[in-house]
Formats: sequence, C-alpha cells, structure tokens
Amino acid sequence: MENKGQMNSQEATMQGLIGRYLRMRSAVSRDASANTPHLDNDSLAAFTEGNLSELEARPMISHLVDCSFCRHVTAELIRLDLAFADNPVISRAAETSEPSRVSAVLNGLLSKIFGTSDGAVFAHNEKDEEADKPEDPDADDSKDK
Amino acid sequence: MSTEAKTSDDLTNESRAMIDDMFARCTENAPNFAVTQDCFKTSLLKTIDKYLAAASAEQPASADVNQFLEQIQADDLFLALACANGNERAWWEFDQQHRSYLERVARHLAKTEVDAQEVIDTVYVELYGTRVVDGERVSKFSTYSGRGSLRGWLRTVIWHSLVDLHRASHDEVSLDELTENVGEGMAHASFAEAAPGGEDEMIDHIAKERYRKATVAAIESAFASLDDHEKLLLLFYHVENLKLREIARLVENEGSPLRGWFQRKSQTRNENPAGRIHESTIMRWLEKSYARVLQLFRAELAETGKLTREEIEICMSLATQDLAGNNLFRNLSTT
Repeated sequence: MENKGQMNSQEATMQGLIGRYLRMRSAVSRDASANTPHLDNDSLAAFTEGNLSELEARPMISHLVDCSFCRHVTAELIRLDLAFADNPVISRAAETSEPSRVSAVLNGLLSKIFGTSDGAVFAHNEKDEEADKPEDPDADDSKDK
Repeated sequence: MSTEAKTSDDLTNESRAMIDDMFARCTENAPNFAVTQDCFKTSLLKTIDKYLAAASAEQPASADVNQFLEQIQADDLFLALACANGNERAWWEFDQQHRSYLERVARHLAKTEVDAQEVIDTVYVELYGTRVVDGERVSKFSTYSGRGSLRGWLRTVIWHSLVDLHRASHDEVSLDELTENVGEGMAHASFAEAAPGGEDEMIDHIAKERYRKATVAAIESAFASLDDHEKLLLLFYHVENLKLREIARLVENEGSPLRGWFQRKSQTRNENPAGRIHESTIMRWLEKSYARVLQLFRAELAETGKLTREEIEICMSLATQDLAGNNLFRNLSTT
C-alpha cells in the first residue's frame, strides 16, 4: 500500500494482516452479496458525491460493508468522479439546434435500436413535416461517434 | 398520491413555503419547462420519504426537513421532471448541457467506440422511456430525486448500462466478474490467493495451527467490532484498492457522512472543520483504524483465546511470517 505514516511495527503488521484478511473475506463471501437488493442509481450517486447526512447514509454504509457489488460500483463511481473532476466537461454552446428537433434525435435513436421510426413512442409535439426536413446535425453527431 | 398525502400533512408551513420558493426560482430559471407545482412537490415529498423519513423511526424534525430541502439540486430536478414529462425545450436543454458529458463518460468506461455509442443510445432511450404503465410512459428521469447532482446520477446510469451491455454478451459470467470488466476495476481484480507453501519444521505443527486459528478468529472478531464507517474505509482501501486521493475525493464534501464520523472521532473538526481533506488525513484515519484493530485483536486473543502475552507475541510473529506467504487465511472460508 501507499505508506505507513507514523505506524509502529505491530500496526504495520496489522495493516498487512487486515488487508489480506479483507481480500480473502471478500473473495469467499462474494456469492452471498449477489442476492441482496442493491442500492439504486439515485442513492449511489448521492452517496458518492457525499451529499447524504450521516442519518441517511447509515443504512447505505452498512449495506456497502456487506455487499461487494454495490461497494465495487461505488468505488468505480468515485474513480469516475475524480477523473472528471480533473477534466471538467464544457457543455455545448447553445447556438444551433432548435428545441423542436430533439424529437428527431430521439426518433433516430429509436429507429436505430428498435428498427422502427413510426414515432409511436416519441409522439408528443411531432409534426409530419419533421420527416421531410434534412436530418438534424445533432443526430449526425450521435451516429458518427 | 398516497406518498404525498402521507407526508404533506407532516410538513410545517415553513417547509411548504420553502418548497414554494424553490418552485418559483426553478420556474423563473426555466419558464418553458411546464413542470407543475404539484409535480414538483410530489417529487420532493417522495424524496423526503425515501431518504429522510426512512432513515429514522421517528418523524423528521422540521429543521431537518428544511436543511434537507436546502440541499436538493432543485434546477437539476426541475430539468429531470420536465424531461420525464417529455417537454421538448427541456430535452433540448438536457442535450445541450449533458450530451457531451455522457459521451465522454461512456468513452472513458467502454472498451470500444461502438460500445460507447451503443450505451449512449440506450441511455437516451431509457431516459425518455419506452415502457408504458397505465397509459403513461415511464421515464428513467422519474427515478432521479435531486439528492445528488444530475451528472452524478447520469454517471451511475451510464455505468450500469455498460454492465448490462457487457452482461448481454457474456451470459456465463457472474455479476462480480462483470463489474470488474468495466472501468478501472479491471486492473484490480485479484482476490484469490495462491496455494500455501511448505510448513516450518522448527515449530510444532499443532501449536502453530492453533495459533493461526486463534489469529484468524481474533482478526475476524476485531474487524466485526469496528464501526461500519471504519469497516468501509478499510474495505475501500484494501479490497477496492481506492487510492488515498480517491478516498479524499469521496469525503471532499464538508457534509460527507464518512468525513463527519471520522472527524468526530478525531480532534480535527474543532481545529478546522471545513478544511480540505488531504491524503495524509485519510492515512491518519487508516492508521487509527489499524491501531484499533490491533487493540481489539490483542484483547480478543487474551480474553477469548486465553493466550498469554508471550503467546500473543507468537501469534503476531507468525502472522508477520505468514504475510510473506498465504498460510494464515487459507482456511478462511471454513473457520
């Protein structure tokens, strides 16, 4: 591990012991955690951001101690959070698209995934003439990426 | 709805006024999103129920509710509610504000560009919602509560979507193996230890095994005696291989529950409660946990194992030797 700071030799031994013990314990208890109800996206995200109070977080912390799956997801989300904190993403400038074209993007995705573009799902505020317009630049972006 | 009826009555006038103010601010910021006050309020009440009311057997105090409401990411929630309702303007805003972020997260996590694009497409469809229940489309946005940031929630959605994608193409792989194949977990997936080496002929085999069993039992007992906060810190560090810097990120938020617990156990809170948490602070928390485990470990060997001080030293010495090999925990699953 990274350093031993001011630990005495017995504490350093304990660091090695507890580390080994926890890895072995995690390996032998993995199957049990697969059957427990997992934390939902909302709870995981709020916990990872440190937004929960101690009272709210208490049951989640207990769950994370026992559930290797949720703990692993949480660890991955922490890494991801840090990775993107170091490299902030700039939002697209709001310059080109018209709001009404978003439905075209969604319909494009729907047809790609389900092989249909009948607009049955994204039916709100749809206009027939949308289909005759050139394809939206955003939709092109999404396909090229 | 029933959730609203159950908790709305419990809100004080002050809390209701806070919700009204939040709604007014959101509407002012995004006048075209067409989210109704009722929809906004219902969502907040559900969130209070989920996080605050569920955490305690007692009704949450008014001050707690007000503090809780202050922490809600109201504008993010407003956008999510509008998108869940299918509002075109909101979807446009969402696309402008978050699409490039989603793409970068997906590319960061996925193995291939094709996977990344597939996940983005799938997430967009899930966010809009293709399932219809009782004549209403169910959007994934409706599960966002505003308790964390929308981007934090989106990261989680992307991550799970990638796991699902991987799962669909690897039916035979277990859930845990899958999670290790997404993101950085791939680099850290080493749990099982190798087979044990040869025995030390200089020490009597039976006595040695006895001390080993006592050592393992004492470690198990010591760890079980820790508070869950300490256990999680140790598990993050030793099992999930989070770096000190990554753990520091988790507790960066001044109100972080882990931070609050550890600071209360040390004296740093009074000295500098809002200060930045450095890696050295996390190391100190870990060192305190090791010291506590050591104390509990020795007490367990003395009290339960009935070992003398000299025998405890033999256990420590054996444990130190065994750390070089894998003898100590080889029978962990059967002890």
